[in-house]
Amino acid sequence: VKLTSSEGTEFIIDRKVAEKSVLLKNMLEDVGESDMAIPLPNVTGPILNKVIDYCTHHRDDPFVSQEDDSKKVSDDIDDWDAEFCKVDQGTLFELILSANYLDIKPLLDLTCKTVANMIKGKTPDEIRKTFNITNDFTPEEEEHVRKENEWCEER
Amino acid sequence: MITLPNECYYEIFNNLRHNDNYKDLYSCALVNRQWCRIIIPILWSEPSSHFRDTSLIRICLLTLNVEEQSFLIPFNISLPSHSEPLFEYTSYITSVNELLFDGIKNWLHYNIYSRELENPVKHALITMLLRTGKNLKYFHLDEIILVQ
Repeated sequence: VKLTSSEGTEFIIDRKVAEKSVLLKNMLEDVGESDMAIPLPNVTGPILNKVIDYCTHHRDDPFVSQEDDSKKVSDDIDDWDAEFCKVDQGTLFELILSANYLDIKPLLDLTCKTVANMIKGKTPDEIRKTFNITNDFTPEEEEHVRKENEWCEER
Repeated sequence: MITLPNECYYEIFNNLRHNDNYKDLYSCALVNRQWCRIIIPILWSEPSSHFRDTSLIRICLLTLNVEEQSFLIPFNISLPSHSEPLFEYTSYITSVNELLFDGIKNWLHYNIYSRELENPVKHALITMLLRTGKNLKYFHLDEIILVQ
């Protein structure tokens, strides 16, 4: 299967690897085998490279349905996956976007878990610093949210 | 930070929801408006054991409309006076169980009211929850309440 990234770089991968993506799987089923490259205008070359790495490593994993993975906790990331996610924040967020767009649920889970782990145990201010987010609450609003949800702090 | 579609944030935040520990989600709700809007419905969807918490009951009481408040007037219960909540929090609740009654007991105790006032408060809160609970799927209160 041929894929082209947003800047036009061509990637040739096994169909089995491509089928980790539900988007590509459905496309391939509709179109059938073809020499035509599938354009992926939303994914850049370096990110597509990473995504292909992931799908190649996990090519033989059984397909997990949406329902039965709901109970997983965010600590169960295996070594290969943890290493895979050791990228800068920009790349990590690009990976989330691509996993969402290409519909690769296990990759989306993994990258979202990684971000969740970056949030754990931090104060709101530390979270803003980590992700470079501006606080756009008015002081009154912030106080409202704080007071009205203070029950969350218990236990 | 690259902005993600809301469904991706939802995935991320769902990983922070374990058992009844909402501390991380609470911190996230205070980050900015966008995060807050996504998280509040998650936080309030299943308060479960947090129904015992007097501060949660206080927010529920702030949500009473005039009619529901009137159930409490004959009993001289003074309601929390605070400006209107920022969200209609109770509309996100999906499940109510008997822990709500524990919360009401705790609230009465905390505010030094007699336990005999339980029923009118239950009456007002249940009426309010049924009125605002657009997402209610499970409502289990195994008790008959008689209000004169």
